[in-house]
Amino acid sequence: MSISAQQRGIARCTECGKLSHLPDLGHKTTAACPRCNTELSFRKPQSLQRSWAYTIAATALMIPANILPILTVISFGQGDPDTIMSGVVKLWVADLQAIAVIVFIASIAVPVLKLLILVILMLVVQWQLPLSRQQCTILYRFIHFIGRWSMLDLFMISILVTLVHLGNIATVESGPAATAFAAVVVLTLFAANSFDPRLIWDLDND
Amino acid sequence: MAEPSHIPHEFTACPDCDLLLQTAQSDHTLEGRCPRCKAVLWHAAKHTDTVSFAAAISGLILFYPAMTLPILKLKMVGQHGSNSLLGGIYRMWVEQEQILAVLIMLCSLLAPLLHLLLTAVVCFSVRFNHYPSHFPLWIKYKCWMQSWNMLEVYAMGIIVAYVKMMHDGEVTVSAGTYCLSGLLLCVILCSQYFHEEQAWQHWEKNKPA
Repeated sequence: MSISAQQRGIARCTECGKLSHLPDLGHKTTAACPRCNTELSFRKPQSLQRSWAYTIAATALMIPANILPILTVISFGQGDPDTIMSGVVKLWVADLQAIAVIVFIASIAVPVLKLLILVILMLVVQWQLPLSRQQCTILYRFIHFIGRWSMLDLFMISILVTLVHLGNIATVESGPAATAFAAVVVLTLFAANSFDPRLIWDLDND
Repeated sequence: MAEPSHIPHEFTACPDCDLLLQTAQSDHTLEGRCPRCKAVLWHAAKHTDTVSFAAAISGLILFYPAMTLPILKLKMVGQHGSNSLLGGIYRMWVEQEQILAVLIMLCSLLAPLLHLLLTAVVCFSVRFNHYPSHFPLWIKYKCWMQSWNMLEVYAMGIIVAYVKMMHDGEVTVSAGTYCLSGLLLCVILCSQYFHEEQAWQHWEKNKPA
């Protein structure tokens, strides 16, 4: 039988990884890690509430991020605003399939998958769903690894806006969706960071 | 403040599943994993502070040219355009996208700079056995900066922008890209070879009372 550190009254410091005995604390007292002075707790405080809040906010912002224009390429005075999806379609039609796939994965598949996985993980904890703990942990590591790649589109916009700044011949302008998309990326990063995977394993310990 | 009591070194708890484990670090294996969830619990440290110190210093030397030299150059109907990382942030700010400008500055300029700087300072302290009182804060900030450092994503962004503009005009790769590639290599070496647990143990042994 495996025993969790919490069952022995031992807390692992979130910053430096040192183990300490955490005595039963009253409401207003806190304990600090003897090595790095970070506040100690068995699990990330209010992990589920915070993750839910960030996830719901990110889901709401997905709508303006995908409907509003993100980029407008104007050459010789004319050009249509592109949304994220229409930009991908244009790349695909222009025989740049490889880049179209990369942009699709980074700016559409990753945010949607991330939000979906976060909701699944939180439901597993909340409703005690009998999903494999190992697989849930793999999903958690996957969203941690993949999350930063959504920034690709924003960096690309910053590069294009500066590079293509040729007055009347061609200019690139960013649209309102860029800010919404940036908010989605940052909020999903926060959501993944505030979720505590140990809550999944705690279900087996009770 | 309650005072937590001491726990022997050979015990560890898995960061991902909280399994309480007894670790036996042997010289034969390079890393130890949690038997339940396969999280990496520890990895062997060999010459690590030398490599990460060298990588941090090289990265800091490459930093200024990588930020200011032009990355891509565009030629369209006789007109020339170019961009640098710093120029990209400036243009976003000028075009009323201040929030985006700040986010891009954090992920591609501030975080890499502070990551390299703090790694260099921490390695320097460990090497010369001189620990300032803010040492734990520096390691914490270093980890935070490492997680916001997204230079590798920026490099992918350069490739996508290059391919996107390939048909519209003449795009050439410029000096900034080479400096940025070097900087990226230094950042990767820096984060791969830095041994956090070792730095913490040095601090614990030698911290000023």
